[in-house]
Amino acid sequence: MIELKNVSTAYDDSLMILKGISLKIGQKEFVSLVGPSGAGKSTILRLLTREINPREGEVILDGVDLATLSSSEIPVLRRKIGTVYQDFKLLSNKNAFENVAFALEVCGVDEEHIQDDVPKVLNIVGLSDKMNNFPHQMSGGEKQRLAIARALIHRPRIILADEPTGNLDLVNTYDVVKLLMKINELGTTVILATHNREVVNAIGKRVVTMEKGKIVRDQGDNGKYVI
Amino acid sequence: MKKHFKRILRVGWINFKRNSYLSLGTTGVMVMVLTLFSGLIAVNFLSSRIVVNLQEKVDISAYFKSDIFEEDILKIKSELESLNNVKNVEYVSAEQALKEFKEKHAGDAVIQDSLEELDFNPLQASLNIKADDPSQFASIVQFLEANKFRSVIDKINFYENEKVIGRLQNISGGIQNWGFILTMALAIIAVLVTFNTIRLTIYNQRQEIEIMRLVGGSNWHIKAPYLVEGGLYGAFAAVITTVIFYPAMFFISPKIESLISGVSLMSYFTANVFQFLFLIFFVGIILGVVSSFVAIRRFLKA
Repeated sequence: MIELKNVSTAYDDSLMILKGISLKIGQKEFVSLVGPSGAGKSTILRLLTREINPREGEVILDGVDLATLSSSEIPVLRRKIGTVYQDFKLLSNKNAFENVAFALEVCGVDEEHIQDDVPKVLNIVGLSDKMNNFPHQMSGGEKQRLAIARALIHRPRIILADEPTGNLDLVNTYDVVKLLMKINELGTTVILATHNREVVNAIGKRVVTMEKGKIVRDQGDNGKYVI
Repeated sequence: MKKHFKRILRVGWINFKRNSYLSLGTTGVMVMVLTLFSGLIAVNFLSSRIVVNLQEKVDISAYFKSDIFEEDILKIKSELESLNNVKNVEYVSAEQALKEFKEKHAGDAVIQDSLEELDFNPLQASLNIKADDPSQFASIVQFLEANKFRSVIDKINFYENEKVIGRLQNISGGIQNWGFILTMALAIIAVLVTFNTIRLTIYNQRQEIEIMRLVGGSNWHIKAPYLVEGGLYGAFAAVITTVIFYPAMFFISPKIESLISGVSLMSYFTANVFQFLFLIFFVGIILGVVSSFVAIRRFLKA
């Protein structure tokens, strides 16, 4: 489903962020990408959403080399993927309902379905009573659950979570992790980039460890975060 | 498609309402710009009226020898009237000229007495000719000086007035040219101010735009509500401008009229109210939409 073939990339000429990475991720997998800051975890996620292109190698999703996508095909790619970020990336001038609805609107879903689906998803993440609240009226945990609701709403086949617990306390961290695991159980591929050892160890799924732009360890089921 | 359009309008309207401070500021700047535009319309109207007033005052007179019959002069009059560049021709008979002369100098005893002394009318019959454009006088004079009329015309006062006519032409040409340059310069400044204000408004929302792109929004999906928002700034600014401009004209108009008689700004703007509304709404909305379009393009390119 997802394949990185010998991928290298850099943000400028001087520094290579990824150096010859090869990685395969199958459907319905839960993969934790771990490693210290600057290891290149987020860069892999950004390659998958075509925010950046590889300098060398190929990034393949469902048999398509992402480098071949035209600029008008990029939004279509992103609609197949749900993304969750450390800084939530919520639309500050839209309320909770509208933030989630936006992901459906861009997919061209009609109003009736939006009115139907959004409350259901907000209920799943425990935000049914905050539907009209704006992001600035919500706590960190609530914002992240809202971001997950937005990532889920259009039933993507892949969810990319970039340090989703980085700004959360312990209770909220586990809430978010539980949600991601539940989503994975329902058949969605989840790639979680984190440097939170407790979280990774508690999940007990495949763990890919990165260091200085390279994969140094790839453990199958029940992997652990080993430094 | 219709649903899609409705959604875009709704989102644009909601954004406009929610960013009330920004919307207020941007609308305010656009009100100033549109008021400036309206002012320019008024100034253009006034300058064109001044030019017309000046041009109306310019004419040339052809004086006929005293032995020429009235019907011959009237024939020449109708020939002149058939020329393209002649606006109108007025026949002043010798008697009428004398009457007007006496009236004009009613208080001057010396002139009145000298006229009494004379047993004949010293004034000549004449044709007062007005041209569509003062630059046409030379060709009209040429026409009169052609062989056909040379024997009946005593003199034409064009050569005495030539300098004045030339200067007047320069002045009215200057008013029109400079008026146009000034209008264009102010219009460009106004467009730049609007454009920059809207650009700043959108710059404030660059993160939002980035997020919309990450969530999979197509360029048009992101852009359209901003275009609606831009159009709304323009439309609201047009409403406020109209509400400010008409009462302002109501107060200013009599003062202008006392300076330049027969020129009423209020009646001009009342007579052309629909054209004015159309123009101000059109300029406002187009300015808002185009500025938004250009401003947002930068954030969608990256």
